[in-house]
Formats: sequence, C-alpha cells, structure tokens
Amino acid sequence: MPIYAPSLPPKPDLSSGRPPAMVIARFDLQRVLRQKMGRFFGFIFTMMLLWRLGYVYIYYLKDQNAVIGKMMAAASPVLAQGAEWHADMLGGWLTYLLWFLVALIGGGLVARDTLYRVRPLMYAHPVKPSDYWIAKVCLAALVPFAILAPFALLPWLLSVGLTGLHGVMWASAPLRLLPVALIIALLMGAVASGASSLASTPRAGVGWVLGVVLGLEAVGGMLYGLLGSGSWMAVSPMALAAEWPKLLCGSTTGVFGWAPALIGTAAHLSLWTLILKARTRPSEAVL
Amino acid sequence: MISFESLEVHYPGAAEPALKGMSLSLEEGIVGLLGPNGAGKSTLLKTLLGLLEPSAGGGRVLGVGLGSPEAAKLRGRIGYMPEYDALVEDATAYEQVAFWGELSGLDPESARDRAHEVLYFVGLDEARYRAVSGYSTGMRQRVKLAQALVHSPELIFLDEPTNGLDPDGRRRMLELVLKVHAELGTGVILASHLLGDVERVADQLVILDKGRISASGSMAGLRRALSRRVELRFLDPLDEAQEAKVPELGQLHEARNGYYDLELKDADPLAPFRWAESHGAVLVQVTPRHDRLDEVLLRALHPENA
Repeated sequence: MPIYAPSLPPKPDLSSGRPPAMVIARFDLQRVLRQKMGRFFGFIFTMMLLWRLGYVYIYYLKDQNAVIGKMMAAASPVLAQGAEWHADMLGGWLTYLLWFLVALIGGGLVARDTLYRVRPLMYAHPVKPSDYWIAKVCLAALVPFAILAPFALLPWLLSVGLTGLHGVMWASAPLRLLPVALIIALLMGAVASGASSLASTPRAGVGWVLGVVLGLEAVGGMLYGLLGSGSWMAVSPMALAAEWPKLLCGSTTGVFGWAPALIGTAAHLSLWTLILKARTRPSEAVL
Repeated sequence: MISFESLEVHYPGAAEPALKGMSLSLEEGIVGLLGPNGAGKSTLLKTLLGLLEPSAGGGRVLGVGLGSPEAAKLRGRIGYMPEYDALVEDATAYEQVAFWGELSGLDPESARDRAHEVLYFVGLDEARYRAVSGYSTGMRQRVKLAQALVHSPELIFLDEPTNGLDPDGRRRMLELVLKVHAELGTGVILASHLLGDVERVADQLVILDKGRISASGSMAGLRRALSRRVELRFLDPLDEAQEAKVPELGQLHEARNGYYDLELKDADPLAPFRWAESHGAVLVQVTPRHDRLDEVLLRALHPENA
C-alpha cells in the first residue's frame, strides 16, 4: 500500500509561500551544508574561535592568578590590547581562510545552476531575476558572516561575563566588529557570486573567484609598488577585507584610509552585482 | 486557453525573427505542437511563459496578456517541463520537487506533502530519496514532469517529454501525459518533433515550420479527412476521358500505374463504386489510407512537394 494517496488533493493555495529569494537561498544552503569541505572548515574555524576565547579567558585569569599574571606581564608587549588587538579579532588568517572557503562555496553557487541549466526553469516559475541574484549574494555573504559574527561577539560576551563592561574587550567592541563582519561578508558574497556567474562549471567558478581575488591583490601590490600610494591596494577585495577592521577599530597601521576603502568597497559591490545581474538575466538564460 | 495574434519574436542579434506573425486560438485539451528542430516550438513555449517578450503582436494565456505585469504570477498557474536536463544532480528527487513547489508559491509544508504525492503519481515513490545523479533517463524525465505538476497548474507545457527514452519509456511517458489530463484535468501543450507521440495523445495539432504555423486543427478533423483518403485500383487502366473525370470523386493526390490516391468528397464508401459504374470502369480495389498523418505533416512543411 502506498503511504501517500495516489491522487493529488484539491488545488493548493499558491499565495502562502515564502519569498522566492529565501526559497532559493535555503535550497542552496542545504546543498552547501552537504559538502564535506564545510565540515573541514567548520573544524578549522571552531579551533580558531576557541583560541580567541581562551585568549580572553587567560587575560582575565592573570588578575586572579599570580603565576599567570607574571607570564602575561612578560608577554604584555606582544599581547597589548588596543585598536590593533581588536582589529585582529576579524583580521589576519581568519579572513584569508574565509576567502578560500567563500571561493570553494561561492564559486559553485551560480556556476552549478549554469552547468545543470536550472536557471531557465527557475524563471519559468514566479521568480524575478532580482530574486535570483539577491538569493545568491545573500547566501554567499551569509556563510562568512555566520563565521565572523561569533568572532566578533563571543570574546566580548566572555569578557563581559567574566569582568563586566570594563574587562579585556572594549564595551563598544560589537558596535565596531559586527559592521566590519557585515561589510566583509557582503564584499565576499558579491565577489564570489559575481565571479561564479562568469564560469560554466563549479570548478571553474572556484578558479574564477580565486583568480579574481589573488589577481587583484597582485595588481594592487604592483600599483602600490609602482605609484607609491597605498590607496591603490583598494583595488584588491582581499586588501579591503583586511583594512576594514583596522579602520573601524581605529588602528593606525592600515595601508590606506577611509576614502579608498569606501570607494573600493562600493566599486566592488556594484561591479560584481552588475556582472551577476547581466549574466543571469532571463534572456541570457533562455538563449 | 491560449490565443495569440500576429505574434512575432525576435532574438537580439538574429537576422530573422524566430516567430513570424503567428495567429492562433487553442481550446482546452491536449495540444500537440509539431515541427522539425528549429521550427520555433521552444521559442513559442517560452514566449507563452513570459520568458521572451513579443517584438510584435500579442496574445493571452489563461486570460492574462503576454508581456503584462501579471505574467510572473501567471507562471504560478503553469507547469513547464523543459527539453533539457534541468535537475540539480546532488539533490534527491523529493528535495527538488519540494523546492520547485515552494518556488511556485506553496508553503514549505504543502510543498513537501505534494512532492511526495506527485512523485508517487509519476511512479517514483520508491526512488524519491535518491540523488537524481543515479537516475535513468526515464526517471529523470519523470522528475521533470513531477516538478511541473507539483503546484497543480491549470496548464502544463511539455517540451519534448520523450527525448532520449526507449520505446517502453516513451509509452509510459505518453500514458502519464494522458493521465495528467484525464485525472488532474490539466491542459497540456506538448511540443515534439515526433509525430507518433503527438498522434497518440493530442486532440489538437499545430504544425510549425521556420517560425510560422503551417497547419492547425483538431486531430479528429484530421483523422476524418484521412479516413476519406483512399487508393483506388481499376481492372483496366482508365482512358483519358475517364481520368479527366476522376476529380469528381474528390481531390486527386497522385495517379500512378493505374492506382489513384484520392481524398473523397463523400464519406459514403460506396461512392467510388457508383462512379465507376456510371463511367464504364471496373473498380477492383479500394484501400483506406489510415496511417498517413506523416503525409499531412510533410505537406504542411513542404507544400511545394504536395
């Protein structure tokens, strides 16, 4: 006996569904979560987060324990907190690894649909082109944001929990680090989904994202070397992602200032979104 | 169900329009859209779905004007089974059918329930939790049909649904198409270049060639016309005077070696015998030509050779 009735029930209500962009993003997220590399990177990022949390915890312990206090005092030139220390919460290896993860995930987001020719069928449903590209950019940004947000929030929560608002972490840390996480995530999402739309297979998509990110980093470096101005590094999305934590935390060790960072970020967000829109419009998909 | 007037579609950069001034009105039922590859079948389906904008003319699908702002909503009332593989290889049939249901406007719970039901309907109940990458061509076609049906559309467009199927798979798919119309009451537009498929399921036929409608009509009308198509053989060859009067019986298509291929004016099967008697000829053989729908197609596509 079949579990389900062999005839379909009366016509369903088609107005109670979720917005198409959310449906597409959720379906893609399920696909991403099935991939084995997600578990690998999940382990890596969890370890990095535990390291940061341990760091904050030990900072607290130095006030309670004489031995650890002496050790921390000896290491204070290295561990001195301040703008640089806070900016590093979302900087360094964390963002480099994230770029790699976003390339692996985001590179296939649009290219996979191109390969399997899913997009024309999507547009044969009540889906607008904007639903499609918004879903792709948001999902490609959601993954890095979901990883960066705990790095921005958990050390602060631990610090507040242990020592109150005057502990290791600034009281205003989330106000600085959460916007940084959002900007970096949007930048990564736009670049990854835009570059993915240029490829016809997921593997080529990964290559495109890495090529764009590393290529522009090299171009920025060359322009910096040739023209002598650090502002040229703003052509590189990787440099922009590394610069934003420093700018918002007030670090003085940045390579370029606010204006190149704002212009570079806006240019990348617009450029890659426009490329994504142009490459995934219905006529393109149908033809 | 569907009507369009002077419909023209021009792809950007193409020298000629893909659809050239088509006008037609289609009733509810199963409509066969027949024509060789490149005739404009897929372009017509995509235009009716609102994926391509008409460059001239217009029309209505289920009461909604082509190119109107409601076209996106209209797609929720239509199911589309594309010609090519449009399946996400790493997802199960159940996951993707539920996904397409949600995209059509179903809430997640209904989409999941209906995915189970529609996969059972197309005969994939046992295999629905397997990734489609391991499916046979026939199973993949059925997943595509299931996604077109999951939201109970009023009309479905099937683009070459028997592509790549073996004879048994073709038979099963065509039976499913008939079942969709009979049990779910869904209107069907079936585009195919295979006459046998269309002949088996359609009750209306539209023949396309080079972006134009070459012929259209009900299958019953075509069959009626074909049932009057006979081949006559006389005992002795007809003389010139007798041959000149053969068209009195109906339209003469071919006369060769004493055989006369005719479309009779009169449905009465005795009419040729009466004609022979009155003209002093002896009719020895009347052969009905039942299986010549292919000739209708060829005549429509190549009128110069008719």
